[in-house]
Parts: sequence; C-alpha cells; structure tokens
Amino acid sequence: MKLKALIDDREEELLLELREGRVSARIGARSYELDVREIEAGSYLFSSGNRVRECLVDENGVVIDGHTYKVQIIDPKRLRSGPDASSHHHGAAEIVAPMPGKVVRVQLEAGANVEKGTGVVVVEAMKMQNEMKSPQAGVVVSINVKAGDTVNAGDVLAVVE
Amino acid sequence: MFHKVLIANRGEIAVRIIRACRELGIRAVAIYSEADAESVHVRMADEAVCVGPAPSNQSYLKIDAIVAAALAVKAEAIHPGYGFLAESAEFARAVTSAGLTFIGPTPEAMEIMGSKTSARRAAVAAGVPIVPGTVEPLASFAEASVTAEKFGYPVMLKAAAGGGGKGMRLVVDHNELRSAFDTAQAEAAAAFGDSSLYLEKAVEQPRHIEIQIFGDTHGNMVHLGERECSIQRRHQKVIEECPSPINDPELRRQMGEAAVRLGRAVNYTGAGTVEFLFSDATHDFYFLEMNTRLQVEHPVTELVTGRDLVREQFFVAIGEALSFQQPDIEWLGHAIECRIYAEDPANNFFPSPGTITHLREPAGPGVRIDSGVTRLSEVSIHYDPMIAKLAVWGRTRDEAIERLRRALGEYEVTGITTTLPFFREIVRDEEFITARLDTGFIARFNERRSEPEISLEDQDLATIAAALHYTKQQQQQVRVQNSASKWKLAGRHAGLKGLETQGTHRRS
Repeated sequence: MKLKALIDDREEELLLELREGRVSARIGARSYELDVREIEAGSYLFSSGNRVRECLVDENGVVIDGHTYKVQIIDPKRLRSGPDASSHHHGAAEIVAPMPGKVVRVQLEAGANVEKGTGVVVVEAMKMQNEMKSPQAGVVVSINVKAGDTVNAGDVLAVVE
Repeated sequence: MFHKVLIANRGEIAVRIIRACRELGIRAVAIYSEADAESVHVRMADEAVCVGPAPSNQSYLKIDAIVAAALAVKAEAIHPGYGFLAESAEFARAVTSAGLTFIGPTPEAMEIMGSKTSARRAAVAAGVPIVPGTVEPLASFAEASVTAEKFGYPVMLKAAAGGGGKGMRLVVDHNELRSAFDTAQAEAAAAFGDSSLYLEKAVEQPRHIEIQIFGDTHGNMVHLGERECSIQRRHQKVIEECPSPINDPELRRQMGEAAVRLGRAVNYTGAGTVEFLFSDATHDFYFLEMNTRLQVEHPVTELVTGRDLVREQFFVAIGEALSFQQPDIEWLGHAIECRIYAEDPANNFFPSPGTITHLREPAGPGVRIDSGVTRLSEVSIHYDPMIAKLAVWGRTRDEAIERLRRALGEYEVTGITTTLPFFREIVRDEEFITARLDTGFIARFNERRSEPEISLEDQDLATIAAALHYTKQQQQQVRVQNSASKWKLAGRHAGLKGLETQGTHRRS
C-alpha cells in the first residue's frame, strides 16, 4: 500500500505491506522489517529481534514512551486536492477558540486598533476565564461572536489585520 | 460510626471519600449531574442520586437538591470534598438544620476564613504575619488604582471570596490594572457569586508553603507539617511536596504553631490548611489564606505522616477526640504529587476536553493514584479539568523523584491532551531536581525548556503505527459497509415476501 505521511511539517512517501503479523515498511530511503501484534484497538506492539516498542494511536497522533508524534496519513487514492494553500491571508491573523466554551465578554469593536497582546475576547471554559489576545498589532477587521455565544475549538472569534 | 454518608462531590475526591467509607463500613451515597451518570464515582458508590443537569450551578452547587437527596436516602451526614460547596457556610447551615452532620468545620469558622479580608483580620488578631495590603474589599476601580500606587507595583488583585486561583491577577504596572480588575471581578462573580476584590503587595519570588492542621470538638489542635506547593500555573498548584525541600524543623515548628494559633482563634474542627508565602531571601512567612476543607494535595501529607486524613475527618465528625497529639506526628521520607490535568501545556494550559480512548495507570512500590476516570470516560467542559493525582513516596527526595520519573513513564492516556509530558520534562529539570522552587518556576521553566530530542527511528515507528492503524480502519469500514448492505438485502427480501422485517431479525 502506497501512502503519504505528514510528520509535523515534513512530508514522506511511505510504502507499507502487512503479511501474517509482519510489517515491511519503506519511509523515504529507510526500510523496516518488524513483527507486530495489535494488543487492543489502537495499541500496537512492534518487535525486532529482542527489542519491543508499544505504540498507541489516536486521532491526536501516536504515543511512544509518553511522547506524542503528530502524524497524519494521506491516502493518495482518496485525496482530491492537497492541503489548502490558498487560505493564507497576508497580514491577517485569526483569533481562534482553543477549546469549546462560552464567550463571556467582547472587549473591542471591529475597527479598533490593537497592539500585540491586547485582549480581544474573553472565553470561559472549565470555570476559567481566558483572555484571547491579538497575536499582532493592527486593526480588528471583524468580530464574529458576541457575549453569551457558545464556541467550539477552532472557531474564528475575530480577525486582526 | 455513621451508617450512611452522602458525598456532595464528583471525580477523584468523591472516589477518595468512598474508599474511606468502605474501610469504615459506611454506605456511600454519590450525587451526580446528568452528564456524570456513567462516571467512576457513581459506579463505585452504594447508592447514587441525580441532582440536576450538567452545569454545576444546576447540580453540584444546588444546596436544596443535595440536602433533599441526603434526606431521601436517609444519610446521616454529608461530606463536601473540596471545591463546589465545601467552603459554603450556607450549605453547612442547610445540612445542619436538616438534622444532618456536616463533615467539616463550623459555618462560623468558614465565614471568617471564607472572606479573605476577614481572614486577614483574624490572622492579625492571632499574631500571624500577613502580606502588606488592604484588609477591606476595594470599593471601586479608582480605589484599586490609588491603593496600588500606595503599595507600589507589582500588586496582586484577589477575590475576597476566592480560592483555586480564580479571580486572581498579578498586575505588573498601571497599564494592566483596568483589564485585570475587570477580568478578576467577572471571574470572581462567576465562580463565587461575589465580585469583591482586595489588593496585596506582590511578594517577589515567594515559595508557597502551607500547613495542614486538624482540630476536634474537644479543643485539640494539631499540625501535620507543611506542604510545598510552589510549582503553579495561573496560581493553581500542579506539583506538591511533603516536606518542603527546605526541610527545616525549626521553621516547621514556627509555621505550624502560627497555623495552630489561627485554627484555635476560630475554634476550627476537622481538616484545614493554612497557606503561607515564604521568602527565601528573608526567611519571613506571611499568611495567605486558610482553606476550611480537605485539600487536593492531602495525599502527600498522608504518605509522609502515615495518617489517613479522611478517616480522621469521620471520627472528628462523630465527636471523637483526635487519634493523635502533636508529639505523635512524625514525618518519614518524602512525597511528591503531580496533578494530571486534561490541558494542553503546549497551548498555555488550555483545557482539552474529550473522551479518554486508552488509559494505563502506573503502579508498583511507592506509587499512589487518586483517579476519577477510566478508559472511555468523558472529560467534559463543565467541570474542573483535573482527571487524577499521581503521588509517590521515597525515603529521600531524590528517591521520590526517581520513582516519579518511572511512574510518569508508565502513565498512558490517549484521546485527550494531558499535562503528563510536561511533568516528564519537569522531573528531569535541573532546577526541580535541586529544588530551586518558587511560584515563578513554571514561567522560567517554559523559557529554558528545549524540545525533547526525537530520534528519526521513533518518528518512523510512529509513522508505521499510524499507517497500520489507517489501513486497519479502512478494512473495518469496508466490513461494516458490506454487513450493512446484507441487512438491507435481507430487508428487501423480507419486503418482497410480505414478511415484517422484525420477523426476519428474529430468525437470523
């Protein structure tokens, strides 16, 4: 099976073959031959000779010895278009909700001038109020939420240009 | 002893109290919100009562519903745990007037200590030193501004009814005061229903050291030594130790006696904690606040003194004398606790709610886990993001750190982001190992920490695991689709034959 992997920001070609508990893999120019057992859903025990390593896979990445590796698998057969490169606006910065929560207060209006670090929106989650700050100096071009709104992780709260 | 006790809490502390109930032969009654129907504390309890919907102000903070639940199940007492209603004098009164025992101090003691301004007055009266600042709540922003100038920046704004770092802001200069004042006030109003703030001069690079005290209804008051809780983020503790690495018996005696004096001044009964700021430069300590309840970090004191604080709370509540006097208390070895939060340390410790997909907790010599979750537990946005506490004990601090390193290595949680990787870095940090601790530790640590080294081989292994997992999921999806179409096919056949699909199900 031919796949692509995004490891942090590095892209690698990946060739994978699984036969009777043995996995053959080629990543770039590196080849691996490993025995593998699936211990439970998402938990894989790899061995090579006497060495054993357990890997836990979930949607956030792969955990080995407590370290999470951000790995994304891209299947060229299923992919219609690559990662969207057109979404990068020059000079614009989005203030994004880092977690689900409730907007407690909007501190500025569209059109306001901000410094880097100026608080724009206050979001409450898990009983903590977190002030979302502007990542750069500029002008607030839009505020997309109002006090009382429920927001999800990734929602754009405001845009600064 | 009581026959049945209701636990007005959730998560790991409810589990901790249920364990004490079991050991004493008490039937444990859990309360839960609709979001918590499948949570661990409900599963462990003997009985469980739903007290309302997910938001805590409609469930875990609902005094009438909780007291009604206790009466309905014929519980004799209520243990409040920490947080929620644990420091609400109103709750303690409601429990007592319903003819039940409140496992904690008197409402009068809670009221004095519950307002930071009256607590500061009580401390002054008991001869306990306090941080320079206001002893009355600030009337307005204008007053805050004038007072801050008077004491000189940096200053701390604090909620008069506060605790747990909520409604608290460090203000470095005048430009920050307005925004800090508004945020702290709003946070205080939301968390405690009281927006009043007071102001203190910020003590530079303080250690946070607290004294565990215990009182009974016979006039005994004992301290169980200190806990060092200097490692904090957003003024909330993340690592606690007993004893403090300063480990100075004379200082322990002085601080212990000050804490006992304060406890006596309010006729304190049960478990309480007197928090102090300690300055390495001057060796002065200042009263910060008193927590009139069991503390999150009580396990480190239990590990070092060998006393079960929750068990002792039950005996004090039925009117027995403390099972120990001051000379009985001895400190053996060193304990360290890490609070495992569902938070992303790489993203300013923002909460990271979600479902735990895999969980393996450490065990073995000197390891204690107090956990409120299992695999498939949902960490919801409604409650505090702490999912568990890992505490270790060793003969020395170095041995405890080695154990902690080992235990953190064993600890596996996936599905949510936790503070575990952050702790794994801290226990290898030179300043932590040599105990150069103060409340600025995490800020400095974040500046000096370097990305852990990653081998290409491990990255490749992770890539192979991810790819393998991806292909397995693809295969499963194909299987599910195939089986689904078979059902559809059977349905169509059944329809053609004029049979009810239900009949088809029963036969197949």
